[in-house]
Amino acid sequence: MFNKTAIAVSVTLMSIAAAHAEGPYRIGITQNNVGVDSYQTTYESAFEAAAAREGNVDVVVLDAGGDVARQIGQMQDLIQQRVDAIIIWPTNGQAVIPAIRQAHSAGIPVIVTNSKIADAGLDFIAAFSGPDNVQQGISSAEMMCDALGGEGQIVQISGQPGYTTAMERAGGFEDRLAEACPGVELLETQPGNWNRERAQRVMEDFLTKYDRIDGVYSGDDNMGVGALNAAKGAGRADGIIFIGATNFAVGYDAIERGEYYGSIYQSPVDDAEAALQTALDVLAGEELPKMNFFETPKITAENLEEFDRPVF
Amino acid sequence: MASTEQTKVGVPLGRLSKAGVLSFLSAQGILIFFLIGMFVFSFFSEQFLSQSNIMTVVRQASIIGIIAVGVTVVIIGGNLDLSVGSMLSFSTVLVVDLHDKIGPTNAILLMFALTLMIGAVNGFLIGFLRLNSLIVTLAMLSAIQGFVLIYSGGQNVDIANQENTWFAFFGRGFVGGIAVPVLMFGLLAILIQVVMSYTGYGRRIFAVGGNPMAAVYSGIRKNWCVFSTYLISAFCVACAALVLGSRVMGSQNNVGQGYELLVLAGIILGGTSLLGGAGSIWKTVIGVLILGFIQNGLLLMGYPYYIQWIVTWVIIILAVWLDLANKRKRLFTTHS
Repeated sequence: MFNKTAIAVSVTLMSIAAAHAEGPYRIGITQNNVGVDSYQTTYESAFEAAAAREGNVDVVVLDAGGDVARQIGQMQDLIQQRVDAIIIWPTNGQAVIPAIRQAHSAGIPVIVTNSKIADAGLDFIAAFSGPDNVQQGISSAEMMCDALGGEGQIVQISGQPGYTTAMERAGGFEDRLAEACPGVELLETQPGNWNRERAQRVMEDFLTKYDRIDGVYSGDDNMGVGALNAAKGAGRADGIIFIGATNFAVGYDAIERGEYYGSIYQSPVDDAEAALQTALDVLAGEELPKMNFFETPKITAENLEEFDRPVF
Repeated sequence: MASTEQTKVGVPLGRLSKAGVLSFLSAQGILIFFLIGMFVFSFFSEQFLSQSNIMTVVRQASIIGIIAVGVTVVIIGGNLDLSVGSMLSFSTVLVVDLHDKIGPTNAILLMFALTLMIGAVNGFLIGFLRLNSLIVTLAMLSAIQGFVLIYSGGQNVDIANQENTWFAFFGRGFVGGIAVPVLMFGLLAILIQVVMSYTGYGRRIFAVGGNPMAAVYSGIRKNWCVFSTYLISAFCVACAALVLGSRVMGSQNNVGQGYELLVLAGIILGGTSLLGGAGSIWKTVIGVLILGFIQNGLLLMGYPYYIQWIVTWVIIILAVWLDLANKRKRLFTTHS
């Protein structure tokens, strides 16, 4: 249903074409799983809009529907079509490497977007563009430390087990917390699977298990708001600091209401635009670092006004 | 068949008592296992048997429980309903999304109407066109999930003003100290148990599931009976969606994914046969609670999420095995 093969053909007006020295380019993108989460859906429309604005870029947008085999097939299709560059949002950082290697051998530059691939594949990609999830975990740990004044007991609700983003955020958070804030003890971590209801249940069980919880770190705001719901239900929300990542609209609102301490601002629009820009830079032959991270600043009540309310 | 051999006259005494033990185990084995499990859990975690934890677990189990009560009726009638997980996603997204657009009352009414319509489609295809329920509801599972994705555009839906809406009552409210989800679960279970045990309608559902031919020859309108079980299932899903949407105050478009398996797990644990014609709502309630306590207990003991799944399914396989062992009067069989 949602594995759209939407081919956004931009009308290449002469005037716009003249403004760009290079091109026109044909760029293929295979996404992970559009339609199951708000972030990816917003990313897709932002990507198409950004490509249309460029004027000299035709994009072939594919969606793997979370299926590794299908994504490998889509990579091969794009190689067959001889596109100028391929952007891939890996469904699995290990399994897609052979397909990336094929594209590399065929002389097509590959840009990995949003989620990293395993180190073994780095030689075959032109560049990575996306958020630095380890840094996000570090930032969250620093916010937690500040909010608690260096002392307290906290729990963690992590993302989908086995998912790179989830592991990197949790890893960055745990390492930084141990290093910068030895007075804060991480009591336990359980996965919330990026799911608010699941996170709410996990938090209810945590609240039963621990008489004292001073802070909760959630792998994204969707789960964080679930944890907040649980704490409110138990009448214990006032004493708990909530910190999340990937600021969602509900998280933004909760920060505004003063119920949620902070989060990490990560926009799918920035993500999509950065991926397209990276691809264009590669095609223009610019020297780029391998890893291109876009900014994901800390967001709290203090600087909330500087950011737009997320659309997802 | 093995069982006919065993029931011949002159069964040795030893074997009889073994059959007795097996019969007891299959009838009460899960309950015994449950009690042992509770004991072990309480040993490792002092909060496990606390009143607040028990209330939490029952409240958490009530969403799956409400759906399981409805699906039990479908199964007693000799069919399956695998579409309940997708239907839950559909109904929850719908009621949450419409809440802000047309107000809570209208949203709830419209959601119930549309959910019952899906139930009616299921019921029509299976009851009147006599299509296989496994295939119909599996197809429905995908179709509804696709519809939800289109409807929501892949976005999460949220209730904007969560603080000031009486919609919060269904998921977060209390009546006389009892959480509303628990109350709904209890009332639905009692109501449907009474209907199934004490009314002609209930007896007809058992008859249709047990022996459809005999039921038809005795004048039961089988088509309508099957049709109605899917309406009951859909009604229960709508109630569960109300609780879920209100509890979370928002919905992801895949929120019900996998619920059909948890629901089936609860029903099987309760001992309702998937072959139809037998089963009890009361036992489904116990099955669902066991599931809830296992997951909660393992979590309190600090085991990760995946262990819960393994343990849960090991227990389910054990339950099915004991049930079968009772039917053939022995634990193992060498016959094919």
